[in-house]
Amino acid sequence: MKQKNGRLAARMCAVLFLIFISGTLLAQKKVTGTVTAAKSNQPVSFASVTVKGTSIATSTDAAGAFTITVPAGKTVLTVTSVGFADLDVTIGSGPVNVVLTETTSTLNEIVVTGYTAQRKKDITGSVAVVNVNNLKQVPSGTTESLLQGQASGVTVINSGSPGEGSNIRIRGITSLGSASPYVVIDGVAGSLHDLDVNDIESIQVLKDAGSTAIYGILGSNGVIVVTTKKGKGKTVLNYDAYIGTQRPLSGNPFHLANTPQYAQALWDMQTYSGIDNSKRIAAFGQGASQTGPMIPTYLQPLTFAGQADPDLTTYNINSDQITKANQTGTNWWGEIFQPALIQSHTLSGSAGGEKSSYFYSINYFDQEGTLINTYLKRYTARMNTVFNVKNNVRIGENAFIFYKDNPRITNQNEGNAISMVYRIPPIIPVYDVEGNYAGTKSFTINNADNPVAMQKRTANNKGNDWQVNGNVFAEVDLFKHLTLRTSFGGTFDNYYYYYFSYTGYENAEGNTNANGFTEGAGYNSQWLWTNTANYSNTFGKHSLKVLIGTEARKVYDRSLSGNRTTYFSTDPSFWTLNDGTPSTQSNSGGAPYQLTSSSVFGKVDYAYNDKYLLAATVRNDGVSVFYPGHQYGTFPSFTAGWRISREDFMKNISWLTDLKLRGGWGKAGSYSNTPTTNAYTLYASTAGQSYYPITGSGTASTAGFFPSQLGNQNTTWETDIQTDAGIDASLFKGKLDFSFDWYQKKISGLLFQNRSVLDAFIPVAQPYINGGNIQNTGFDFSATYHATINHDFHLDITGNISHYKSLVSSLPFGYKYLDQYSSGSSRIGAFTRSQAGQPVGEFFGYQVVGLFQNNADITKSPDQSSLSPGVGAFKYKDANGDGKVTTDDRTWIGNPNPDFTYGLNISANYKSFDFSVFFYGSQGNKVVNYIKYWTDFPEVFEGNVTTTAINNSARIVNSAGQPASVNDPTAQVANPGAKTPVFNTTSTSSGPSTSGAFNSYYIEDGSYLRCKSLIIGYTLPTTTLKRFGIDKFRVYVQCANLFTITKYTGLDPELQGSDLNNNSNFGIDFGNYPANQKNYNIGVNVSF
Amino acid sequence: MGACILAACSKSFLNIAPGGALSPSILANETGVQGLLIGAYSILDGEGGNNGGWGSAASNWTYGGVQADDAYKGSTPSDQSDIVGIESWNTPTTDGYPSQKWDEYYDGVYRANEVLRVLPLAKDIPAAEAAEITAEVRFLRGFFHFELKRVFNNVPYLDEKVTDTSGPVTVTNISGSGYVNIWPQIEADFIAAMAGLPATQSAVGRANKYAAEALLAKVYMTELKYDAAKPLLADLIANGETSDGLKYKLINYGSNFNPAQNHVGDAEAVFTIQTSVNDGSGNSQNAGIGISNGNYGDALNFPYGAGPGACCGFNNPSQNLANAYKTDANGLPLLDDSYSTGNNVSDPTTPYTGTLDPRIDWVMGRKGIPYLDWGPHPGDSWIRDPANDGHFNPKKNVYAESQKGTLSSVESFWANVEEVANNINYIRFADVLLWAAEVDIKGSVPNPAEALSYVNMVRARAADKTGWVYGGGAAYSAATATYAITTPADNYKIGLYPDGAFDNLTYAMTAIMFERRLELAMEGQRFFDLVRWGVAATVLNKYASIEKNVIPFYNGVSFTPGKSEYQPIPQDQIDGLGVTGTSYLKQNPGY
Repeated sequence: MKQKNGRLAARMCAVLFLIFISGTLLAQKKVTGTVTAAKSNQPVSFASVTVKGTSIATSTDAAGAFTITVPAGKTVLTVTSVGFADLDVTIGSGPVNVVLTETTSTLNEIVVTGYTAQRKKDITGSVAVVNVNNLKQVPSGTTESLLQGQASGVTVINSGSPGEGSNIRIRGITSLGSASPYVVIDGVAGSLHDLDVNDIESIQVLKDAGSTAIYGILGSNGVIVVTTKKGKGKTVLNYDAYIGTQRPLSGNPFHLANTPQYAQALWDMQTYSGIDNSKRIAAFGQGASQTGPMIPTYLQPLTFAGQADPDLTTYNINSDQITKANQTGTNWWGEIFQPALIQSHTLSGSAGGEKSSYFYSINYFDQEGTLINTYLKRYTARMNTVFNVKNNVRIGENAFIFYKDNPRITNQNEGNAISMVYRIPPIIPVYDVEGNYAGTKSFTINNADNPVAMQKRTANNKGNDWQVNGNVFAEVDLFKHLTLRTSFGGTFDNYYYYYFSYTGYENAEGNTNANGFTEGAGYNSQWLWTNTANYSNTFGKHSLKVLIGTEARKVYDRSLSGNRTTYFSTDPSFWTLNDGTPSTQSNSGGAPYQLTSSSVFGKVDYAYNDKYLLAATVRNDGVSVFYPGHQYGTFPSFTAGWRISREDFMKNISWLTDLKLRGGWGKAGSYSNTPTTNAYTLYASTAGQSYYPITGSGTASTAGFFPSQLGNQNTTWETDIQTDAGIDASLFKGKLDFSFDWYQKKISGLLFQNRSVLDAFIPVAQPYINGGNIQNTGFDFSATYHATINHDFHLDITGNISHYKSLVSSLPFGYKYLDQYSSGSSRIGAFTRSQAGQPVGEFFGYQVVGLFQNNADITKSPDQSSLSPGVGAFKYKDANGDGKVTTDDRTWIGNPNPDFTYGLNISANYKSFDFSVFFYGSQGNKVVNYIKYWTDFPEVFEGNVTTTAINNSARIVNSAGQPASVNDPTAQVANPGAKTPVFNTTSTSSGPSTSGAFNSYYIEDGSYLRCKSLIIGYTLPTTTLKRFGIDKFRVYVQCANLFTITKYTGLDPELQGSDLNNNSNFGIDFGNYPANQKNYNIGVNVSF
Repeated sequence: MGACILAACSKSFLNIAPGGALSPSILANETGVQGLLIGAYSILDGEGGNNGGWGSAASNWTYGGVQADDAYKGSTPSDQSDIVGIESWNTPTTDGYPSQKWDEYYDGVYRANEVLRVLPLAKDIPAAEAAEITAEVRFLRGFFHFELKRVFNNVPYLDEKVTDTSGPVTVTNISGSGYVNIWPQIEADFIAAMAGLPATQSAVGRANKYAAEALLAKVYMTELKYDAAKPLLADLIANGETSDGLKYKLINYGSNFNPAQNHVGDAEAVFTIQTSVNDGSGNSQNAGIGISNGNYGDALNFPYGAGPGACCGFNNPSQNLANAYKTDANGLPLLDDSYSTGNNVSDPTTPYTGTLDPRIDWVMGRKGIPYLDWGPHPGDSWIRDPANDGHFNPKKNVYAESQKGTLSSVESFWANVEEVANNINYIRFADVLLWAAEVDIKGSVPNPAEALSYVNMVRARAADKTGWVYGGGAAYSAATATYAITTPADNYKIGLYPDGAFDNLTYAMTAIMFERRLELAMEGQRFFDLVRWGVAATVLNKYASIEKNVIPFYNGVSFTPGKSEYQPIPQDQIDGLGVTGTSYLKQNPGY
């Protein structure tokens, strides 16, 4: 290893050395000039300028300027650039000013890929170019969420929670750990999360290993390459803003019962359970004379006031909280979800000239959540500058700074306020008779928290985040064809928070828990140092580009926090650690997260006659996560393209503008979620896990140690081997472009936390080891149609479809399967199981075939006695056909992976009006509606029930046709079509035959089609504006999420994982913050 | 830039020592080994190791109590539905609770063995201390295996040689066409512990010689090796002393369950699992649920709603248990099971008005009776779901109101007020006396007179009026677990068995079995007693047939002999594959 590091160091030092000894070794005869675009009158950067008849070429800089050496006898320059028609110009005296005319074809567009830029038509890998204008259509504070439906091969799942992350997968699930793609912003590792979308110049998604292998260890999940705006031409000031209102789902979106319906459901439940009248739930009346539920007027913890007015003077918040019952029912949804404001303001200024260019922007983004006390407030600033020090030396920086405050709920979790909407009984009002929060303590059944109290109590909590991201760089052009570049950059993230936990006096559970205060801070840092040398030349019909580079990276994160409890006042001015009871204090500071990597890489692009294209890349990466000897990995790729339309035999096909066949093979890697200390066997000492009160103190314990993790020195990379074949075509002079890719992605040596053969017997945290393989196959398709119907009417249609099929092809030694528990909840066991031969994340449980109609039905059906069956309970399929139904009969009951997802953008311009609409859909994915656990089985904590469940549940009668207990030998289901089990609290109710196990009752079709955005805009006539010094003024109105078409019965079928870093567990509804809320905005775009 | 050049050019750029953790070499010394030993002790409470939770509670309230006729699961029917299978003697193989017990106590085994692995590497430990450490480790290793054995029966035994799992499988519960028998190894651990441990210890929480002897006796009693247990029990009764040097004796009954009294200076404590609160272990910042040193395993077992603890209403004593405390005119229990007839104790409408054994009111909270110093129990408003949970709350694990915040936790995590420093009486002296009585009846040389004297010792303590519960607002002393003597809280009457009563050995055994139920109720013992006596199916099926009249749960549930005595081996353990691609564990019969 010593040698390897030494070699790397030598290379890095050499590159650095070359950069700083650069000289000016250019030829003497120079021609200078500028290139501008005809329509916009803006400079064209990266335009290629060639001396006709030679291989001498250069490209324009950011200001559109170029300098080229022209040999004697040559007088014509050929200028080409993406999006423009090629042009030959004759050199006169003085500077050459070239005006290029725009074409509709995007084939010549320059696209930034891995460490280099290429013309789109020269790309041999699979790269999706995102239309940034389409991207901006959807109002959102998180830029990664905007990728949804905008790039083929990219699956994005969002939620409606402001500032919440998204599940992003490029070509399916590529790891059981994090499948998040690597994001490169201006050449540096970054994040789309808080990036201002208005700062973005271009986004490319690198999908196949042919294009991601150059990123080696970071490439396995795909790479998103973002370039932010640079200054160009004259000074431009832009103001982009929108403001609008977000409308929560209206009415009673969970279809919850009101108080009389709820009381009746509980009453019926007790009837079917055989509970006699004297033992019924006291709140709804007991005693032989009761024939149905009585709705009380007041609720009290110790006695039920019933219909009589209680003595309100006995009120005591701690022991006798008196609450006036809500006899019609509280609309908890409406209490916590309210219309909310959203606004965004971006002001940017840019200019570019011969000596320098800059782009500055500031943004204020403020999205209130429709859920009270959730919001994202963010201030950002960007400063991108480039200085042309000499003709051949450029230095510059890109800097992005933001501050944000983003209180959120733990989305997709049974304990959050959204879940409490359906968990809390409707009879409970928001406030008690004294105006304090009301809750389940007065009701004495159920254990839900008051969701209003939960949210309002967070009002004074704080969470601040400051971040700086960016880089400084220097570029030197050497020997005409060689460019050296060094870039140093990274991210520094500093955060600080505190929160107070109140005594939930109104709750049935924990109503005397001590209050507490927690304060903490931490930082995450990452730097990346990249050095590259780029050589580009053409020899006759041969064109060659060579890149070599080195990269070093270091990540370091640290945090600490403190806590005290039993504050005698809950006043926020008291919220300091010192004000809590000292004996309750505790603090924590986790082990730092430390990671380093170092890499060398190279790339060769060769083209013959613009017809045959070949590219090869290789990267050698080392990372500290693994033990010396297993730290380095080599990741090669090869791709080839054949522009068949350049062949003579295709020349006569006039409608075919361009046709390229391409294919590639490559390898990328990942260290996935492997802990940075994976190689080491460690011991730890924590009070809860290894201290013991050996002295019998009762209030103090003696420190002890425990083996906390086993190391593995042999663990190494997870490898992604990808094969890709694609077609790119441009028809009718670029009016119709399409691109199709087929791929196969094999991830081998998946990094798993080891399960030893005897895992319970070696109960130490096991190291991550390599084992198991996943295979994804799929296709991506995208098409764009541009039409100019007439001079006033333009139409653009862009669509894409992504399909993947994921397959676990093997699991590591010792695993028969891998059950995946969701962090959202697991009261009925794991929902998903990964097993060889099945897709990642497939749902696994019992298959419901119906409900047992009577005892004879139980007897004649396959023996389900080990699962406590009963009349009106689920009858399960004997999946293995052994004549009995046991835990072995659980089977595959649904695949959360969609058959395909699709996006469709239609935009049109008519005179000064513009119109755009964007649809997104997901087809064929199954979802688990886990909310039903809480709402369809009232024995589950006697929480609220849906009217759907009430209407569909089995009703039990005896031989006389009277409502009866399920224990009655003659009990039978009176409504044979019932789908929901009988409401019941006996042993059969909570066993695996009803609410006690996961089964196909929860599975629903999660397909949907959503109109994500509809915009109508109007641009004011230029002539009017000129007088005010305004170049452009556009106003628009928008409706986001206008409609969603779905059969899903929950709030929204778009369901992200409860843990965004766990990709084996998604498509499960734990009361998701819905992403389908309508949002009406008005906006302006102004340029000066 | 300068820093990165240095870093990049340094050969150690990729080699980062782990931060915030201990490496093995740091622990190879006396402090390290003693620390590992404490780490092994810390698993005794069933929490803080691998997969701990309520299913691994050291008190065995689910396996020993809810599974028997002591208590109902409680709460609302679907809450902790993993207990439903246990309570109905039909545990699904995928049930989460047995998994917790399995994982947690095998973690204990691993930690114990780890001490023995590191011990030889430490060069600064004198031989005598090393021998003592080894003896403590063997006590713990025997303890964890014994607990696993009596819950799962067919379990493998692991010694310190089992370190790696990549090689051939050496750990299995399969032997030929049957199962392994690990009783000899468990016995050997306790025999070695007994030989190597001192009579008194530097810290009361450490096992001493007599604790090991009592554990060995418990093992023999479980195996029904009465004659092997006899000399051990005789020695314990004659000479036994606690780790803090107190001669064993019966103390005030209620004091056994008082967190102020059961830590140190508890002469009845033969082996106690220690707990502590407000020691930094229960804070949400560094602990997940279940990771704390208080009696987390019993955190659900408090009155619901506005009652003490304010959650969760589990482990409700059964009506059958309450009725068992009825006494006859002589203050003796109704051994003919007639206690199940007539009015129910504390029935909300027509309560039983006859005489009761006074221990009932230390065992359960029931309407109108002082609940320690929390005032009179209000009845069903402290019960979560009376139709399914009956009318009683557990009491032995609870703390007094005056102890709140000192012996209950104020650290901020879920339901912190239910975390209590109330120790778990794993073996107390009354238990030893009742074993000795049983041995006197069932051993090869019966001695009914001695058996009678032991049973009467236990009953005489219960008859001591200073230890009764008194009503009328009598002051409760949380320091001594006694009330000011006023009017007894109910109509108590308890008498001793007359001389010669145990001459009928069958009657004697019935009386001893009943006495164990009354004395040790709600202490996680009952089911294991029923199983070792071979009467579980008879007793529990009868119990179900009686109890279904008060609790709908017991409709249609039954105990299957040959299956229900033991929990299934967790399915994921069965499904773990050995090197040959086959399972290394065989499921218990009937599952």
